[in-house]
Amino acid sequence: MKSLIKSVITLVCVCAVMASLLAVANIITAPIIEKNNNAAANEALLQVMPEGEGFEEIDISKFELPATVAQAYKEANGGYVFRLVTTGYKSNFIIMCGINADGTVSGAICLSSNETLGKEKTFGENFVGKNSDEVDTVDIISGATKTTEAYRNAVKDALNSAIILGGGSVDIRTEEQILADNLSSALPSANGKFTKLFIVETVEGIDKIYGATNETGYVCVVGEEFIGVDNNGNVITETSAENSQNIAAQIAKIKSSTIEKLDISGYTNIHKNVISISKTASGNYVVETKGAGYGIKGDDTYHPISGEYIVVRVSMTKDGKIIDCLTVSQAETDGIGSACADEKFYGQFVGKNESNYTEVDAISGATMTTDGYKNAIKYAFDAVKIIEGGSTDAE
Amino acid sequence: MMDIKNLIVILLSSVLVNNYVLTRFLGICPFLGVSKKIDQAMGMGISVTIVMLLATAVTWPIQNFILDAFGLGYMQTIVFILVIASLVQMLELVLKRLIPSLYKGLGVYLPLITTNCAVLGVTINNIEDGFTFIESMVSTLGCGLGFLLAMLLFSGIRSRIDERNIAKPFQGIAITLIAASFLSLAFMGFGGIVENIFA
Amino acid sequence: MQNKSNMSVFLKGILKENPVLVLILGTCPTLATTTTVTGAFGMGIAALVVLICSNVFISLLRKIIPDNVRIPCYIVIIAGFVTIVQMIVKAFFPVIDSLLGVYLPLITVNCIILGRAEMFASKNNVVKSALDGMGMGIGFTLALCGMAFIREVFGNATFAGIEIPFLVPYKIDFLVKSPGGLLVFGMLIALVYVLTHGKAPIKREFSCAGCPSAGSCHTGSCQLKGDEQ
Repeated sequence: MKSLIKSVITLVCVCAVMASLLAVANIITAPIIEKNNNAAANEALLQVMPEGEGFEEIDISKFELPATVAQAYKEANGGYVFRLVTTGYKSNFIIMCGINADGTVSGAICLSSNETLGKEKTFGENFVGKNSDEVDTVDIISGATKTTEAYRNAVKDALNSAIILGGGSVDIRTEEQILADNLSSALPSANGKFTKLFIVETVEGIDKIYGATNETGYVCVVGEEFIGVDNNGNVITETSAENSQNIAAQIAKIKSSTIEKLDISGYTNIHKNVISISKTASGNYVVETKGAGYGIKGDDTYHPISGEYIVVRVSMTKDGKIIDCLTVSQAETDGIGSACADEKFYGQFVGKNESNYTEVDAISGATMTTDGYKNAIKYAFDAVKIIEGGSTDAE
Repeated sequence: MMDIKNLIVILLSSVLVNNYVLTRFLGICPFLGVSKKIDQAMGMGISVTIVMLLATAVTWPIQNFILDAFGLGYMQTIVFILVIASLVQMLELVLKRLIPSLYKGLGVYLPLITTNCAVLGVTINNIEDGFTFIESMVSTLGCGLGFLLAMLLFSGIRSRIDERNIAKPFQGIAITLIAASFLSLAFMGFGGIVENIFA
Repeated sequence: MQNKSNMSVFLKGILKENPVLVLILGTCPTLATTTTVTGAFGMGIAALVVLICSNVFISLLRKIIPDNVRIPCYIVIIAGFVTIVQMIVKAFFPVIDSLLGVYLPLITVNCIILGRAEMFASKNNVVKSALDGMGMGIGFTLALCGMAFIREVFGNATFAGIEIPFLVPYKIDFLVKSPGGLLVFGMLIALVYVLTHGKAPIKREFSCAGCPSAGSCHTGSCQLKGDEQ
């Protein structure tokens, strides 16, 4: 028993002595270690703002900054440096971005990234000297669209954050959020859930029409205006009498439209990629076709091909003017060709006809996808011509 | 869903890609010392895995709720090694009393584990990587299983080496290390696989 | 051992009982930190400082510490010195800290240190223990640096971070990767055997002699291993 007590006391004493030695060592070294850590952090700050001095970290929880901002530093001359964490093609990557007092980018570097392409390492240099209006002029690198787009958005976030920290206010909502907010305020009864209507009738004076998912009404976009319409065709948003009258008429036209599927088995010269054709009572056509993009034609040496066509739905007048266009399904390369499912791409075909539909902007880095898509549209034009009795040189 | 995916990635990468023994060189001594027979390798591997899991379960809360909370981060090494040493002692006593049959199998390996750098290494790494408790436990399980896997594979290789007639300078430890080098080379092949499984 | 001159106590660690190449102790840091000469040197010196301090401290306390709590006491003392060294490295040599990472706190479980405490410092006076620690530490540092030299110069075509231009086209990447470390280590041990014409008392297997837990272990695990040899 005595020896046990002695053992325990010795062990406790040894622990106590070592712990106090540690505490002393800690008191001596802790300030130096902290200084080292700060110096290491400052080094990264200086890389993006070589002339910066006296960096101080800002408590970002006090401001409403974009979600990508992880840390912010204020510099003695009025500049800011931001540490941004964003998502690229596959993984998170960290960007340091410095903003001068005059609101231009002083430098941007990528601190850690597992991105497949190494180009983003020097990509940041393109932003130097740009302000928030000019940042969009920096071109996305084709083949690294997702990564460089994320990079550009991060720099944009840094520019906006500098304005916010400087006391200004900036709309930090993304395009989708702005659209969703506008739609909701035009038609609150939809609870924020909308789908873009596929229009089969020629409508005039309206740019886009969204339908509430719960079928409580529509929102018409006219220029900058978002105008809500209830199910009875009554305009509920304040707008000019002219607009209001027109919208009521156009909505009524859409609601009364009837459509009938045509039997195309008799038309042997319609291209085999045409899936179906419908005709409205007013004489417009809705055609579904499929085009062979990368998913079909891609060489499977480097990327597995999906074996899926791009399926396109297009509505047009009988004289071949596109009313609306929509990508129904696609399995193109994720992050590159998959951009054909974005409204930014297929929306370009609206209003085009057979002579100018090829003038749309191609998807960068995805020539095969763009070509396949254009072919799908061409089959639709040809099919409508055949049914209307015109001539075609379809194979 | 994201969490489960994340956990699977942590588990697989600590078993295969960042194998503690073969790529990070932690726990080399027992790896070379106790891998002569497959049953010994198994016993050691299982004991290490159990101690690792227990140690992580105890040290993670200590670090996050006691050391960090009171600004005693610098006591990490000393506290962790004491925790591991006492855990091993306790485990030995408990096994001896309650499950003598298991103690017969594993008991002999337990004293060797206190100074196994893989155990201290895994507890410190979990803190440095900033893992949550669940992530820490999964990563620890992966490390333990990786250790076990390396031990089992290597014991198979060693039984073959022992049957061969080896040049004198290479006999014993030298050829063992070179064989381990080839096993490690094989494990390098896993690099990059795990990250891309879910990509 | 008590009668040996102080000089031979110091020298044996460097050559005859070199902890890395002859006693095969401390294999983990040997393999992990020898990708750069700077890292290997830092690890060697850090271990040297811990070895001397813990040897002296343990030797001073050798008559006070009761036998049954010997090992826990040693571990606490070693872990304490390791942490102090870690703080000093972090404060004054941040480059080495970033090279060594987790292997710096892991000096605590380096078999050389606990092994020397158990086998030498607990039985010898302060002067001899300090010399023993110094000799072992220098032997450890030299072996590490030698191995790092081979790996860094031929594997990465640099020496302590400085590029060696004429070697760049011939660098063998494999050497700085994990398998390269094991291979070079194995080759070096074989080389030591050849150079000493087989006279070096190289430990051909791991045994109780190299096991720091040997003193505290009465469960027969060493017996079990011993039977096999």
